[in-house]
Amino acid sequence: MPVNEAPTASAATAATAATAATAFEPTILAFCCHWCTYSGADLAGLNRMSYPANVRVLRVPCSGRVNPQFVLTALNKGCDGVLVCGCHPGDCHYVSGNYFARRRLMAFKRLLEFTGLEPERFQVRWISGSEAGKFRDTVIEVCDQIRALGPYRSGVSDDVSLNG
Amino acid sequence: MSLSTAEALTDALREEARRLLAEGTVAVVVGWEAGRFPNQTTPAFISDPEQAQRLVYGDYCVNTLAKYALGEKAAGKVAVCVRGCDSRGINRMIADNQLLRDEVYLLGLPCSGMKDPATGSLLMKCRTCTEHDAVTYDVLLGPATAAGHDGASADSSAGDSEHVSDEQRFTAVLGIEEMAPEKRRALFDAAFNKCIRCYACRKSCPCCTCRECFVDQLRAGWQGKQNNLAENRFYNITRVFHIGDRCIECGECERACPMGLPLMALNRKMVKDLKSLFNADDAGMTEENSAALGRYDLGDLEEFM
Amino acid sequence: MILRHSSLEGLLSTLSTGARVYVPAKADGVTKFVLYSSSVRPDFSITNTTMPPKDLLFPQTQHMYRYGTDAEGVPYVEPVHDADDVIVFGMRPCDVRSIECMDDVFLTKGFVDVSYQAKRERLLMVAMACTAPAPTCFCNSMGLCPTAAPLADILLRPAGATDASGDTAYLVEAQSEKGQAALAQWESYKATDTSDADFEPVSAAVSCSLKVSMVGVKDKLEAMFDHPIWEQLSKKCITCGTCTFVCPTCHCFDISQENRLSEGTRFRCWDSCMFTAYTEMAGGHNPRASKSARVRQRFMHKLCFFEQRYGKTLCVGCGRCVEKCPVALDITCLIDQIGAADVAY
Repeated sequence: MPVNEAPTASAATAATAATAATAFEPTILAFCCHWCTYSGADLAGLNRMSYPANVRVLRVPCSGRVNPQFVLTALNKGCDGVLVCGCHPGDCHYVSGNYFARRRLMAFKRLLEFTGLEPERFQVRWISGSEAGKFRDTVIEVCDQIRALGPYRSGVSDDVSLNG
Repeated sequence: MSLSTAEALTDALREEARRLLAEGTVAVVVGWEAGRFPNQTTPAFISDPEQAQRLVYGDYCVNTLAKYALGEKAAGKVAVCVRGCDSRGINRMIADNQLLRDEVYLLGLPCSGMKDPATGSLLMKCRTCTEHDAVTYDVLLGPATAAGHDGASADSSAGDSEHVSDEQRFTAVLGIEEMAPEKRRALFDAAFNKCIRCYACRKSCPCCTCRECFVDQLRAGWQGKQNNLAENRFYNITRVFHIGDRCIECGECERACPMGLPLMALNRKMVKDLKSLFNADDAGMTEENSAALGRYDLGDLEEFM
Repeated sequence: MILRHSSLEGLLSTLSTGARVYVPAKADGVTKFVLYSSSVRPDFSITNTTMPPKDLLFPQTQHMYRYGTDAEGVPYVEPVHDADDVIVFGMRPCDVRSIECMDDVFLTKGFVDVSYQAKRERLLMVAMACTAPAPTCFCNSMGLCPTAAPLADILLRPAGATDASGDTAYLVEAQSEKGQAALAQWESYKATDTSDADFEPVSAAVSCSLKVSMVGVKDKLEAMFDHPIWEQLSKKCITCGTCTFVCPTCHCFDISQENRLSEGTRFRCWDSCMFTAYTEMAGGHNPRASKSARVRQRFMHKLCFFEQRYGKTLCVGCGRCVEKCPVALDITCLIDQIGAADVAY
């Protein structure tokens, strides 16, 4: 087929932009610890709790597994916010994973905010396997905050000309 | 430092280097020699005692030498000229298991701050230096610096003039913290935008000693090769975070940067936060690894509940 | 034609209505060629901007084509054409020479790079002769003259001294048909109270204080591939890419892609022979793994290989690497050392 007849990326993006202007729905990536928060999310489902579909749950073995580069990558690849959830301190399946995560992510969050990232876009919460309600409430809260902020612009859209 | 001090130190350095090489104590001496231009020096690697007279020491020895020990140690014991920054770099690499204390012979030199060859004024990195003299050495050439840096602490009273206060050290960080978030974003976006990703910051850093940097792990694909704001931000933030709890604050990254990025403001943000949150020690003061992000405390501040 | 400094602003804004005009200026603390607009303050006293103008023809990231699948799942490939009319105003003679080197690489010997060619054909080079070379400049030694830029379409030569009105004047000469045609737009800005005849442009005697001898360098280097000089010289190199990225003639690139969902962009980007990954092969083998081999490659390419292939050195003597190298690994010192090396040729 003639290559030029393909719908251009810019048309698609323009369409997305038009809808975004009316109602922006954020994409939020939630890293959930397998042993606690992921079970908590499961329990929320079993209990038929409803929470926004904006959140994409990504299971990790431990909050200590979350490399800060995952967060940067998520933001660069189009997420508007990132949530990291793990076991309560003291409850880590691997004894100390979330203690390391706590230090690391506290420092990382401050560094991101130092370079101008809105604090709401990167959040960390401890949610246990029995806290289905806390999971739901957290997702609703984070989602509302980021919806209010609007889309995250990592600079990709300005530079890497997927849209010409 | 005065001309006579510089000359005396240069003589002492040459004599010590010649002796160490002639006696076979060390295989190579890492120091500085004169460059082509006035007030310019360049790192020198001397392995022949007859060549020891090439070494110089003075106001323009701007390069921090610690990292060269890694490349040279294959040839035998390495003598490295060390001031505060160089010696902390050596300690850092020992703490990071990159180097054994036995593999280096440290020639301690007093330092009153180096000057920028272009302007003749105190080098930016030396203005916020907290340790002028070597924190570890095998031999100390010349007396310790008593008066502090020529420019930085000229106004401070005698006694504690050795140390730049935390307030001075973190001035840039505090200034940025006070800005509105949008201003901070604009400031760093402008900086990341002009980054050309030559990686001089990583290469000059004594903490950046990974055999394979995440940047070069092309198959893992951490870092895209395109130069744009998003990728540049990804690189710069990751770099800071990787070294932040081990940064010895030598300022060599910022000096090496051809584009003038405010790298020390980023590094010091980490240093400052880790200090206030976890009571982290200044890095590289001893051979012990006390990196704040490599350990934890049950009583750490809780803000994610 | 004589042009006064005070009329440059008017000229630049006229020119920028029909083309993208780039002028030397300081932006965010870095001197480079900046897109002219009324808020940009061009600075023609800068002798060698930190970043060379090469990115106007050979951007650090150049998108080549887009690909993906459309709504019906049909794959497509769409080339990216982004060449505009570009005027680089105030290039130094060394920068003009660097474009000559890039032309050799991208347009000759039977290889034509389409994206380079598209940009090159729409580029107008307006050169400005140097009156005060920087201490790191050594273009004389590389066979250039700081006051002549033969390949430029238009050459501006400042007057030897400021004239009575206190304004610097430039003698404007077209050096190509393209330049001649472009001068039509300049007519209304020319000084009418003086003529070329009573104008004394900066003399050809302007010369760099830094000098090196290139006599025999290429021939000696041909015999120096295994010389110990490389091991010795590379010790201080930290293998950052500063020298290659600030170099106006370094033109090595890598090709990569960025994918998002069902779309992607293929791009090429600057690469540096100082980086380990530069020669790393798919299987993991790296034929140029050592630092000394990489340093040797850079200088051999500059001073020997390029001359073998294209008959000129790939160094134009702009001094950017001399100034910016964090460890003062100075190409002029290397040239001196090669000159002094006891090698038969």
